[in-house]
Amino acid sequence: MRLQLLNPSIKAMVVLVSVVLLAFVFDPLTPLLYLSFTVLITFLFGKVGMKKWCIRFVPFFIIAFGYVWTTTIFSNPPSNTSFVTYAKLGPFEITDYGLNTGLALGLRVLCFAALSLMFILTTDTTKFMLSLIQQCKLPPKLAYGILAGYQFLPLLKDEFTIIRNAHRIRGVHWEKGIKGRIQLLKKYTIPLLASAIRKAERTAIAMESKGFTGSRDRTFYHELKVSGKDMLFFLLMVGIFIISKYVSETI
Amino acid sequence: MIEMEIREPLLEVRNLSLSYEEQSIINNISFSINKGEKLLLLGPSGSGKSSLALCLNGLIPNSIEGDRTGSIKYAGKEIQSYKPGQLSSRIGVVFQDPDSQFCMLTVEDEIAFGLENIKLPKEEMIRKIEWSLSLVGLEKYRQAHISTLSGGMKQKLALACVMAMEPELMILDEPTALLDPVATKDFAETIDRLQREMNFSLIVIEHKLDYWVPFIDRTLVFTQSGQLMYDGSLKKGLVHHFDNMKDLGIYLPKVTGFGQQVKENFYPLTMDELMEELNEINLSPPIQTMNVFSSTPLIQMKHVSFSRGEKQILKNIHLSIKKGEWTAIVGPNGAGKSTLTLMLAGLLKEQQGEIFYGNKLFKDLDEKVRLDSIGYVFQNPEHQFIADTVFDEVAFGPRMKKIEDIDSKVANILSDFRLLRLKDHNPFILSQGQKRRLSVATMLVDEREFLILDEPTFGQDEKATNEMMKMIQSRVNFGMTALMVTHDMEIVAEFAHQVIVLVEGEVVFQGTPYELFIENSEIVEKANLENPLLYSIWNTYGIRGEPIAASVIKS
Amino acid sequence: MSKWSLREIVVMSVLGIVFAIVYLLFTQVGNIFFGLVGPIGYEPIFGIWFIVSIIVANIIRKPGAAVLAETIAAFVEILIGNAVGPRLLISGMIQGLGAEVVFAATGWKRYSTWVLMLAGVGSAIFSFAWGYFISGFATLSPSYVLSMLAIRMVSGALLAGLLGKYISEGLAKTGVLNGMPLGKEMKKRKVA
Ligand SMILES: Nc1ncnc2c1ncn2[C@@H]1O[C@H](COP(=O)(O)OP(=O)(O)OP(=O)(O)O)[C@@H](O)[C@H]1O
Ligand SMILES: Nc1ncnc2c1ncn2[C@@H]1O[C@H](COP(=O)(O)OP(=O)(O)OP(=O)(O)O)[C@@H](O)[C@H]1O
Ligand SMILES: [Mg+2]
Ligand SMILES: [Mg+2]
Repeated sequence: MRLQLLNPSIKAMVVLVSVVLLAFVFDPLTPLLYLSFTVLITFLFGKVGMKKWCIRFVPFFIIAFGYVWTTTIFSNPPSNTSFVTYAKLGPFEITDYGLNTGLALGLRVLCFAALSLMFILTTDTTKFMLSLIQQCKLPPKLAYGILAGYQFLPLLKDEFTIIRNAHRIRGVHWEKGIKGRIQLLKKYTIPLLASAIRKAERTAIAMESKGFTGSRDRTFYHELKVSGKDMLFFLLMVGIFIISKYVSETI
Repeated sequence: MIEMEIREPLLEVRNLSLSYEEQSIINNISFSINKGEKLLLLGPSGSGKSSLALCLNGLIPNSIEGDRTGSIKYAGKEIQSYKPGQLSSRIGVVFQDPDSQFCMLTVEDEIAFGLENIKLPKEEMIRKIEWSLSLVGLEKYRQAHISTLSGGMKQKLALACVMAMEPELMILDEPTALLDPVATKDFAETIDRLQREMNFSLIVIEHKLDYWVPFIDRTLVFTQSGQLMYDGSLKKGLVHHFDNMKDLGIYLPKVTGFGQQVKENFYPLTMDELMEELNEINLSPPIQTMNVFSSTPLIQMKHVSFSRGEKQILKNIHLSIKKGEWTAIVGPNGAGKSTLTLMLAGLLKEQQGEIFYGNKLFKDLDEKVRLDSIGYVFQNPEHQFIADTVFDEVAFGPRMKKIEDIDSKVANILSDFRLLRLKDHNPFILSQGQKRRLSVATMLVDEREFLILDEPTFGQDEKATNEMMKMIQSRVNFGMTALMVTHDMEIVAEFAHQVIVLVEGEVVFQGTPYELFIENSEIVEKANLENPLLYSIWNTYGIRGEPIAASVIKS
Repeated sequence: MSKWSLREIVVMSVLGIVFAIVYLLFTQVGNIFFGLVGPIGYEPIFGIWFIVSIIVANIIRKPGAAVLAETIAAFVEILIGNAVGPRLLISGMIQGLGAEVVFAATGWKRYSTWVLMLAGVGSAIFSFAWGYFISGFATLSPSYVLSMLAIRMVSGALLAGLLGKYISEGLAKTGVLNGMPLGKEMKKRKVA
């Protein structure tokens, strides 16, 4: 099984289902186990580069940390639970309940991150959109519209340089430092958006001139199918969730 | 009479008029085109040629707003009565602006997109994609991302997309404006060959018509106000309407213009025709050098290199430009000309080497001083625009400098560039040629010591080209230094003091036009250039061993 | 969807994409605050995440504009690598829905400053309800939760509603929206 070869829509659905399932979990062990499995699968079946993955994953420790410490301090145990108080800082109490929930929420964030990295790093955007049309019956007009917009993305930075140069060459120049930056942002936001809109309209016209009507009645150069492997992947991920939950309850 | 009834035209335009927001653009025109016929559409910049193309395939008024009246019949049926998308597979258009005709990420997906729309089965698509890419020589780029292609390659891809759908009518809107001379020639020849194989009808809109002349059947001429002035063979048009056409300011074949200067009522269309008559006529040699008043260098580059990622774009550049000199930079598409000029304008930082301005290093120069003394006209005119109306665009520089009498100064230059009527328009809705003129005007109004222009004349008619060159010349006469990138060898020969030839990021020649075109023909060839007409004639003379006389006929 | 022209869809998607990048940048800022002061750190800037629905709704003025725009922005944010991932898509949808409800209440007819600001507040309330569920706010003390909501509502009104109005009208002034409802209306206003 290669994650890259799975149907993108199914892959997306699996990730979504996992996220929803995790939202009902408030103990730390389940997300920890699920996280480990997800990471394992990503590297085993996705052949994702370690460095690429880490660069994107590491920032989530910050959020996770935020969750852990704030929940630990501010959490409000329901009245019918018993808890142990570890320490008291003025009005705040650190309890085992708070710490547990904090860890659970923090790990949940990491889990979400790992799941979505598993998806992003193994999925081709064009194929994903095509699969949304073919499997999820997304209207082609919308899907191709988004795809057309998506291709501007790499151009956005160039666009910024262009606008900057246009101003510079006309003798406009900004002060250095924060003040200059804000001035610059104010001056450039509208031109940048305007040029994006202009490009968008032109692309729409180009699409129509190539005979695009938005009708579903069309053939596909890339045909995407759902196979047994996709089902297997779905069952695997749900199965892992059930096992993680089970293990954490029995311990 | 009977014959005409049997042969129904493929496309029939009757009393077509078009206006944008109450402003009339196309005025009551009628013409038709038969299957397999090849039409050339001429007209001054802004006369509504591109707008006509948009009407013909139904984009106006379906996708672009405009009030259209009259009738356009395609294969006997009004075009409005075709279902959406039906016409697009039968009428293919290659648009004027190479950057606004794609909607997918990669080359193959882009071609496939059109084919999917006409519901071609997958196997067929694969075959068509391969075939159309091989037509334009882009086989190797099948999986490439479109954003990494150069302007010329994008133009070719646009052609491949349209060809793959095998249209019955093909409309090309200035497809070669940005191509170097050899690529232009190749493009025209490719179209000619394909047309023979597939027998589609063809409408070519073009200012520089020389390469299309040999295989065009009919020529239509538009006036400035969007009326049809002439419909018939080019030769006949020239014989009967030469002066009218000249007055419109459109380009006519170079050889015809030359022929007119040597003999009355002589309208040659090919070099051979011209040379035959020139046999007995005395011809002056091209000018060898032009005077430059100063000898102090204004700007110098030493050991300058530049790379983007792995790719080295400029290699160890040395060059020097004197004060008051007019320099042309020429070379094939993708040679690095724009990159080089951006660096000279201080908009791109050199990675290695040094640039001197006067006797100071570029990086030691105060940013404000540098920006105030060097002007730059971008290759893509839209990159220049920062204001919301044509007037404000030109007035921007003068307002910053708070000089007097801004309104009349701006109005003057706008009228010189035939833009005054459009002064309240948004720069982005102008025609391609108008955009180009506006971008040049913004810099000419702002008097700078050193002006760099990246292809200032592309997409221009003859009148605009001359006007622009004269304006630059008058400023050069007053001491301005000018540097221009161009693919037009005629203006190089006529105006430039020196030429720099750039090939694959290296300066392979720096000298006078005379030295380049007479003494270095191998460089002309290597750099995808062509000889200016006068030099070609001169060279042909040399080969024939004709006597060279010294009387001057060059105007 | 058939009532939408392709042009409108592509314009919406491009705006969604540009703001997806803005959102990503703000996520970084938010994360830092979050790490320092906890969930409430996000709240003052939370309104920025609703801005695209306000802008697009104001420009295109059709049912569904707010929801779709916000969903697309979230979708693109995921594609370009916001590792918060798929739940963001639902978040986006719900935020957009909050604004949409307000526009729907006016029959998609009124786009005054107040309506735009209210739409921002709508997004704030909807997104808060969703956050309450997904991020487990239930475990936090009620007063903390209430102050979070209040800050978010103000942020929605200002950063989404007001700023959104300012940006969309600025765009209309450049003339690029001439073919769109907002552009047409601004022109009428100018003539009148
Ligand atoms: N969308 C638009 N709205 C308003 N005016 C427009 C629009 N598009 C073009 N125009 C105007 O219509 C006129 C004709 O433009 P068009 O692009 O057809 O000229 P053209 O003959 O192709 O010129 P060029 O040779 O410079 O490309 C120009 O004056 C231009 O300013
Ligand atoms: N933004 C960019 N990113 C990557 N490569 C680029 C970029 N701009 C230019 N290049 C590459 O640099 C090389 C030189 O480009 P440049 O635009 O300077 O050529 P040029 O000589 O001006 O060509 P033309 O006659 O077509 O305008 C080309 O191979 C081009 O593909
Ligand atoms: Mg044109
Ligand atoms: Mg260039």
